[in-house]
Amino acid sequence: MDAVLLSVSDFVDLTNQTLEYAYPVVQVEGEVAEFKVIQNKWISFKLKDDRALVSCFASVYQLRTPLENGMKVVVVAQPKLNDKGFFTLNIKAVKPVGEGSIKKGFELLKAKLEKEGLFAEERKRSLPRVPKHVGVIASTESAGYADFIKIINERWGGLQVDVAHTQVQGTPAPDQMIRAIRYFNSLEELPEVLIIIRGGGSAEDLSTFNDEPLVRAIAESRIPTLVGVGHEVDHTLADMVSDVRAATPTNAAQILVPDRQEIIRAARAQANTVGNLLTQAIDNYSRQTKDNLEAAFMRMQQKLDDTFERLGVLRVAIAQLNPENVLQRGYALLRGEQTVGATLEVETFKTIITTEVTDVRSK
Amino acid sequence: MSEANNDKSVQEKLTELSELVGWFQGSSFTLETALDKFKEAEALADTIEKDLTKLKNDIKIVKKKFDSEN
Repeated sequence: MDAVLLSVSDFVDLTNQTLEYAYPVVQVEGEVAEFKVIQNKWISFKLKDDRALVSCFASVYQLRTPLENGMKVVVVAQPKLNDKGFFTLNIKAVKPVGEGSIKKGFELLKAKLEKEGLFAEERKRSLPRVPKHVGVIASTESAGYADFIKIINERWGGLQVDVAHTQVQGTPAPDQMIRAIRYFNSLEELPEVLIIIRGGGSAEDLSTFNDEPLVRAIAESRIPTLVGVGHEVDHTLADMVSDVRAATPTNAAQILVPDRQEIIRAARAQANTVGNLLTQAIDNYSRQTKDNLEAAFMRMQQKLDDTFERLGVLRVAIAQLNPENVLQRGYALLRGEQTVGATLEVETFKTIITTEVTDVRSK
Repeated sequence: MSEANNDKSVQEKLTELSELVGWFQGSSFTLETALDKFKEAEALADTIEKDLTKLKNDIKIVKKKFDSEN
């Protein structure tokens, strides 16, 4: 069979049609080299391994994690031969793989967002102490979600919980969560808190929560956010940008609602406090009344003492004026006319003597 | 417990209880009304306990799907 004669353009088109049919989307793993940003709109880099390399091309908006030469990534792309005869992979998505690259991507994005002030303490909003209506973004099939629901049901009641079921790992997860964040933020009656939870997983699983558009969507949420992803030791950019970070989904539930047993104990303690205050008040009044009575008694006692003291003084004075006391000291009382021949009566302390006046002289 | 209290949320009842404690510690305190206020506080604590014990959370899964823009 003779080979088909094609124009160059037709050959390129045919190649692209064949490629599209055979490989509509490919996933290729390799190391980033010659990374470039062109006019802040486009990015290009080479993806290489030990033996080969291939050119990659994307818009900056398709890059959800910053890249750097040497990072190991998986690209989801469409192979294409362009009109200038260069074979490229047109990138749909790119994500770092391997612990080192994931960490590198995390550090690069963290530095970028930190520079923008997205993690600043002054941006953090506080959560209501007892919310009535909250929104939850989680996979309803996950153990993390089950733990969260179990704990809020144990701890509190009367809470309206609207749950948006999304994937929490894998390529579609960030966009699903972003849509859920936007959905809750578009409601006429906003929930008071937006909770995003996911249980533990590998660094690659949790890297979903280091996705730049997702992190920005959390930062932009009008509703205060509470993010509990992974275990205590796991840190993601999503929880760093959130208003409140929970170590785990269980911890998120503990932060979200108070423990009803604690509240009951506190209410009982307050009622007891009121009882104690009442008893104390009655005691104070009794003591005050007793003190007042005692003070009144003391005043009366004082008055009586003063009166008795005065009486004593008067008694002494009266006693001093008593003629008997003068007679006792040896003096005598003389009665009768002081003329010669007259009879006088002399009264001493113990005797009364009658005598006659024989002489009267002036002193 | 007055009927009006039944319409109040737990949070409102907790606030009311705190206010009662405040009344006992404040300058408006009089021994004549203290006993009634004490009974009110005890009744509030009872209702809060009952409310909290019986209240259930209302958990609903949002019908909207988030796997695509629509």
